[in-house]
Amino acid sequence: MFYFRENMLKTALISVLLFILLAPVHSGAASGEDCRFRFSLGTEPPTLDPSLATDGTSILVIENLMEGLTQFDQNLLPVPAVAKKWEVSKDGKTWLFYLREDVHWSDGKKVTADDFEYSWKRLLNPETASEYAYFLYDLENAEAYNQKKISGQESVGVKALSPFLLRVRLVKPVVYFPSLTAFSGTVPLRRDLIEKYGDHWTDPEKMVVNGPYRLKEWRHEYKLTLEKNRAYYGGEVLCGTVEAFIINERSTALTLYETGSLDMVFLTPEAIPSYRNDREYVNQPLLRGYYYGFNTRVPPFNDSRVRRAFSMAIDRSELPRILSGGEVPAKSWIPPGMFAHDPSIGLDFNPMEAARQLAEAGYPGGKRFPSVRLAFNTDAVNGLVAENIQAQIKRNLNITLSLDNMEWKVYLKKLQLDTPAVFRLSWGADYPDPDNFMNLFITGGGNNHTGWGNPRYDRLISEAAADPDPASRRSKYGEAQKILTETDAAIIPLFFSAQNLLVRRNVHGFIPNAMELFSFKTVWKGDQER
Amino acid sequence: MKHRSLYLSGIFLLALLFATAAGPSVSPYTFDQQDPSALLQPPSAAHWMGTDRLGRDLFTRVLAGGRLSISIGLFSAVTALVIGVLYGGAAGYGSDRTDQILMRGLDIVFALPDILLIILMMVVLGRGLLGIFLALTLVSWVTVARLVRGEVLRLKEYDFVAAAGALGAGDSAVFFRHILPNIVGPLIVTLSYRIPAAILAESTLSFIGLGLAPPAASWGILANEGWSGMRFYPYLIFFPSLFIFLTILSLNTLGDRLRDMFDPRGGPECWD
Amino acid sequence: MILFLARRVLISLPVLLVIATITFFLLFLVPGGPFDREKKLPPEIEANINAKYHLDLPVWKQYLFYMSGLASGDLGPSYKYPGRSVNEILHDTFPVSMKLGLASFFVAISAGLAFGILAASFHGRWVDRAAMLLSSGGLSLPGFVLGSGLIFLFSIKLRLLPPALWEGWRYMVLPSLTLGLGAAAYIARLVRSSLLDISFHEFVRTARAKGLPESRVLLKHMLRNSISPVLTVSGPLLAGLVTGSFVVEYLFSIPGMGRYFITAVTNRDYPLIMGVTLVYAVVIVAANIIVDGLYAVVDPRVARR
Repeated sequence: MFYFRENMLKTALISVLLFILLAPVHSGAASGEDCRFRFSLGTEPPTLDPSLATDGTSILVIENLMEGLTQFDQNLLPVPAVAKKWEVSKDGKTWLFYLREDVHWSDGKKVTADDFEYSWKRLLNPETASEYAYFLYDLENAEAYNQKKISGQESVGVKALSPFLLRVRLVKPVVYFPSLTAFSGTVPLRRDLIEKYGDHWTDPEKMVVNGPYRLKEWRHEYKLTLEKNRAYYGGEVLCGTVEAFIINERSTALTLYETGSLDMVFLTPEAIPSYRNDREYVNQPLLRGYYYGFNTRVPPFNDSRVRRAFSMAIDRSELPRILSGGEVPAKSWIPPGMFAHDPSIGLDFNPMEAARQLAEAGYPGGKRFPSVRLAFNTDAVNGLVAENIQAQIKRNLNITLSLDNMEWKVYLKKLQLDTPAVFRLSWGADYPDPDNFMNLFITGGGNNHTGWGNPRYDRLISEAAADPDPASRRSKYGEAQKILTETDAAIIPLFFSAQNLLVRRNVHGFIPNAMELFSFKTVWKGDQER
Repeated sequence: MKHRSLYLSGIFLLALLFATAAGPSVSPYTFDQQDPSALLQPPSAAHWMGTDRLGRDLFTRVLAGGRLSISIGLFSAVTALVIGVLYGGAAGYGSDRTDQILMRGLDIVFALPDILLIILMMVVLGRGLLGIFLALTLVSWVTVARLVRGEVLRLKEYDFVAAAGALGAGDSAVFFRHILPNIVGPLIVTLSYRIPAAILAESTLSFIGLGLAPPAASWGILANEGWSGMRFYPYLIFFPSLFIFLTILSLNTLGDRLRDMFDPRGGPECWD
Repeated sequence: MILFLARRVLISLPVLLVIATITFFLLFLVPGGPFDREKKLPPEIEANINAKYHLDLPVWKQYLFYMSGLASGDLGPSYKYPGRSVNEILHDTFPVSMKLGLASFFVAISAGLAFGILAASFHGRWVDRAAMLLSSGGLSLPGFVLGSGLIFLFSIKLRLLPPALWEGWRYMVLPSLTLGLGAAAYIARLVRSSLLDISFHEFVRTARAKGLPESRVLLKHMLRNSISPVLTVSGPLLAGLVTGSFVVEYLFSIPGMGRYFITAVTNRDYPLIMGVTLVYAVVIVAANIIVDGLYAVVDPRVARR
């Protein structure tokens, strides 16, 4: 009909434009070659540089890009990765790692012991300013080098004896050392590329990796795309592409999962009750402690009485109720499932004693208490917990905390540079040994943001790490925990976390574990359902 | 037919004004009163619109939010009106050169979308009540200025103006006593459009996190708080959104009717 | 014709320059520098940053530096995404906003034309009233309300469409509906009113007098002439959609320019704020010029002026 002619032209023009400009359609999933595994990251990873990463999000991605000397198996025991075998000397202080000779970087070069030596020294290099430098303090001269007490790196206890032989010298025996070498901070690095590209070496086009995936694309605030690394020594992975979407709202992520756009999602506390009986539901208790730390450098929290008052004013049993994810209330620091866990340690809920301590410190009934902020990074769980704690403190101590929340990246910076009075953090095990939890709070530790230090605590931790006798080790950690959570109350442990996920039935090979390791190399999507 | 929509809008607005003015005081709850035992409750007899994640009564908060949102809308629109009248009057009444200088400059900067300018200004002025008030005002007055200038230019030609001038009245006297009363109609119409525009802008900005911030409670902030819980607690976003929508609709309808009344020349919006 | 367009382009350049200058100085007025958050930077690092971003130069020098960069098309480095330039970021995000804008434009024009024609054809009857009521509603409905409502219905309750992201055509439906329906309300009114105006116009009466059937009269003649007002607003409409998309991009987590604009504002990433503002200004100016050009094609008298 005639009247369409004018409209037709216009519509046609527009349609053509649209057609040209529309991107090719991405369908969600397929199996085998076209396999795309899609999940959500709650926040943008602050960095993909292994020497600088301190947070779970960054490490999650890095673990799929890089591999170190060892890796964890399903039982969280260290097994060979780049190193095919290792030996330890009789005195327990010297380790020899024999590297596989067939491990290549994604650009074709071979991974050598030099790459490890370079990486470990970089972690310790004071100029790198890595917060995890202390992780390798067991190495000879490592602490001195990192603290600038000596200047050269040559004396640090790691050396590449030959291209495929790495020797490590420790200051004291560390039985679980092969667990340390599975940590992302100890993966090998390419000196030539880092020196050439500086800060940009982790850009998608430039980053060279030795792990199962390589970084194909990074659209900031939107998604990271990982693609299988054809040079990976373990062979090509089963699922060729992994897409990590950065979705700030967890409920949006859940809806995306329900409408078929994601293959795995973390559940918010509100959603858990509805999915508890679903076949796609996965619950995994974690070696992860959630705590509030104090900035002990400035009043009012430089007074341990105030800190103890706060700890005793909180009834932690309220938390599992509002979180409903299988969280375990905690007043001690070492999590259940880990050696030396002791639920009897810690300050019990005792509002009267709390009020008394507060009064003794000079703030009877909460009067004259300065206004303080409780800071946390934006997240559904953090918000709920913060609001609950705020209400409890108000109720039991008559003190009003104000809440301050921000994006994770910004929050991390704030912790470093302008530590809030009360801040929220959680710590997940890097290796399944209490040392990893306890040495967080040694004086001056890179991940210790409280500014608190106690020489007796430091000594206990150091002795316990080298102590071969389990009973004596246990009592040392017990005493140390008492100092941390009772006498000095530098932190308020709140609960031990659990992971609550939904995983699609056609996703296979996904192995949840207590250390939240997400290894996608075993994952594949099939037509059959689990 | 025409009048029915006018009456409906009028009644709704009056009821709303009354409710937001008196409501928060009459309600048994305050807008920031937390009740940990009644978190995230759906609407019930005790809480007509339910409670939010801190146990605050949503009905009270919506009323209090209305107070804030409407005041911001009202005051920024009125202030913009005053500034616009003065500026437009100066441009229209002054010499050609004054007019050119005053208006051309505006055209350039205000070619950009309103909301963009508001955001840019908030970067400079900072988030918070004063910031958003100033930003909204600064963007609104241009429309008024253009209108006033147009009208002044038109009315300038009339005899009564020349007569007043001949009788010895100064420029500003002529403007305020003769011209201004004749443009009151269009001004009222403009005002009744600027207010909902301001309310819309404030609630949109607060919703995306660039406007006001908690613990202040405007409708936009309430909508933002409800947005994250929309999946499980849709009433949290539903009620503030409903009020924003009805208020803007009523004000726009009012504006339409007022314009029909003051501008009988009709035009495209004449319904029948 | 070409001269006409060229003249328009030339006039627009100083406009853009003024906008750039005003925005630059506006941002300069903001208390505290862009790196203010990092309060306790060690002096050497702070000096490095200042030198790198030229923050230690006097204002007018920084301005000149920026302007000369602009002349060569370089919008500067982003302050908050180290290693990425504003050009790069815009290069990735502008096409997304453009696509969203076009899709919404399509929705606006189709729905607007449909409803407008419907209302005018059944003028005075309930269809007309209903359409106008809807249109009123559409004009008063904030974008975030419509968007969240659509998400609630189609994603959460019906599980038909995704609530966020930008990974294929399914993801475009709700965002373009959200953005386009508001504009559709406006277009519907426009179409209806211009059709009703014409219905009293001479030649339509003539056509009727000729005895042509009612429907053909309405659709053929009237439409042709009412395309004009729609055409006039198309340019600014499309520009408005492309530049006004940030609420929708926020709601639906779409990686477009608007969303980065919001993040840039929160992060005080000044070069990015400037870059986006400038792109928006260019889009608006370009849209206006194109519409003028199209209008000149339809009505050649315009170009001869």
